[in-house]
Amino acid sequence: MILVTIDVLEVLLPILYFITIWAYAKAFFSGHPKARKISTPLLTVTLLAHLTYLLGRTAAFEHPPITSIFEILSVIAFSISLAYLLLELKTRVKATGYFVLNLPFVFQLVSSLFIKDQIDVDPVLKSNLLGIHVSSALLGYAAITISAVYGFLYLMLYHKIKSSRFGVIYERLPNLEVLERLSFVSTAIAFVFLTVAIAVGLIWLPRAFPESSYIDPKLFGTLLIWLVYGIGLAARKLAGWYGKRIVVLSILGFAFTLISMTVIDIFFSGFHKFY
Amino acid sequence: MDLLSVGTSHKRAPIEVREKLWFSVDEVRAALKELTQHSYKECVIISTCNRTEAYVVSPSEEPKAESLRDFLIDFKNARSIACPEHFFSFSSCGVANHLFEVTAGIDSMVAGDVQILGQVKEAINLSKESGTNGFYTNRLFQSALHVGKRSRTETEISEGAVSVSYAAVELASKIFAHLEKKTALLIGAGKTGELTAKHLVSKGVKDVFIANRTRSKAEELVQKLGGSIVDFEDLRPQLRHADIVISAISSPNYVLTVQDIQHVMRDRDNSPLFIIDIGVPRNVDPLVNKISNVFLHDIDALQRIVDQNLQKRTREVTKAQKIVEEELVEFTHWYNSLNVNPTIQQLRELFEEIRQLEVEKHTHRFTERDRELMDLVTKRIVNKILHIPTMNLKNGETESTEETVTKIRTIRKLFGLMGRRPDA
Repeated sequence: MILVTIDVLEVLLPILYFITIWAYAKAFFSGHPKARKISTPLLTVTLLAHLTYLLGRTAAFEHPPITSIFEILSVIAFSISLAYLLLELKTRVKATGYFVLNLPFVFQLVSSLFIKDQIDVDPVLKSNLLGIHVSSALLGYAAITISAVYGFLYLMLYHKIKSSRFGVIYERLPNLEVLERLSFVSTAIAFVFLTVAIAVGLIWLPRAFPESSYIDPKLFGTLLIWLVYGIGLAARKLAGWYGKRIVVLSILGFAFTLISMTVIDIFFSGFHKFY
Repeated sequence: MDLLSVGTSHKRAPIEVREKLWFSVDEVRAALKELTQHSYKECVIISTCNRTEAYVVSPSEEPKAESLRDFLIDFKNARSIACPEHFFSFSSCGVANHLFEVTAGIDSMVAGDVQILGQVKEAINLSKESGTNGFYTNRLFQSALHVGKRSRTETEISEGAVSVSYAAVELASKIFAHLEKKTALLIGAGKTGELTAKHLVSKGVKDVFIANRTRSKAEELVQKLGGSIVDFEDLRPQLRHADIVISAISSPNYVLTVQDIQHVMRDRDNSPLFIIDIGVPRNVDPLVNKISNVFLHDIDALQRIVDQNLQKRTREVTKAQKIVEEELVEFTHWYNSLNVNPTIQQLRELFEEIRQLEVEKHTHRFTERDRELMDLVTKRIVNKILHIPTMNLKNGETESTEETVTKIRTIRKLFGLMGRRPDA
């Protein structure tokens, strides 16, 4: 029964994400009132389905869905959508959903296409501390992604206004100050989650592998990212960096994260490689 | 008894005629009183700078538009300038159609004009005050105001700035989230600059500073807008406190140069600065726009926003038209249900339906010959039953409206005719 539910949801989730994006796109580009109305409930339903799917997998295969890249992609998709929903509910800014939710759709689509039912996993991965470590790291990266999306939207609107091109982007996006704030708030959230992830990871590592050392490219990469964002947050608070400069920094941070995570994963090996 | 409206608007008459036919509030009151003496049952007058329109319920079956038109002309002594071509006239549901288009913002000079809705509301209130409103006009105006509300919430016909000064404010709110935390600096005391500052103040801008070469003019403006005066010579130091700068001064040289702004941006921690340059020749060096976090816009850019919004509003007209049509169907339904003839006709149809149904049900019990007879007898019974009520209703046409209407409503309710659409 539970396996059937998982299989159905696997097919259903990308479709649900697609419908949700479609509603957000319709609301943004043509200001359709009905689309505006249903977009948030649709996202909520999609998230509930996604949560059921992740919990179902955890129960059925007896491990949190963090043991393969495709399981992790699904968790990232979930984290980004959840973070976005919270942000939307908090700020009441609805107009940007389309831009953010494209990512979870792609991630979930890839995940659904290639994911396998995995039962045999390294027992070292069945740990609660590891669960906290991985989920806070993923939430942190989700927040970084969202921050970059808002940064990107900020730059788009910034250039539209500067060059006096007043099209759909100008009309429908919230104002620059709000976009900058959304980007900043997600960065701050990302920083907190990354801090937790690093701290928990440092505690967990000697427990799982007593003979291991902290020399690991992924750990260094993450520390560097953490440092970059920390400096950015400090620059804003202390040096009063506003507007374009801080946004560009956030986008650079995201690009750096993306590169460090993929490049390190492909070209270096360390204890962080489990799959 | 019929609805009738006569009036003039920017679509038919030039400004000279419209201003001659404009009614002040007191004149509206007087005219309403006079109209009721002309045996019009109910009357409402709308008068704005773009239109003067009278809505009445006229007692005769064939309402005379000419006499109402003449009344308006004579009341304003406008014989010399106003002629029949300047006027439109509608009757029955045409009246509603026109009024709905007015409140929907379709009939306005600028599509989606927001003021007209308030003006129509004021007109019906004036009529209520004078006691010249009534059964028909209440419903007519209630529906019209509903159309206006729907058109503004369900379409984007009233969205977007359609004046240069308002476009500037719209642009400001695309850059800043909280205008109430921002400070504006107005350079010059010209009309557009003043209007822009006024809009900003009404949007809640925290502080306004005004700098002008002639101090007395700046003082005048401060009285109108509030805020405080800055010496023209102290302009540059003041810039660091301003988030929005409106420059509208006539000057052969740039009032603000790239160096000025670069300097200011350093002082204000690079936080965004919005400069509106409505001076011709331009007051601010266009190169200023190259500086990071500075947004400089001149009058052409603002005009582009206005043009775009106008186009967009025009595109929304079809949607608003649909709302007018929907509400007109409702209104027509209601309006016709008040008339005697459709009610009688529907009553007959209802009885005939019942008769036919019963006859069909029992027709197999009779022989061929008896069937014809039964048909005849039942028809006669129905006719006899309906004869007296029909006569009484028809007599009702000469009675006062209210009484007839009550009768018709009762009958429609009793026989369940409420949901039926009259074909008439």
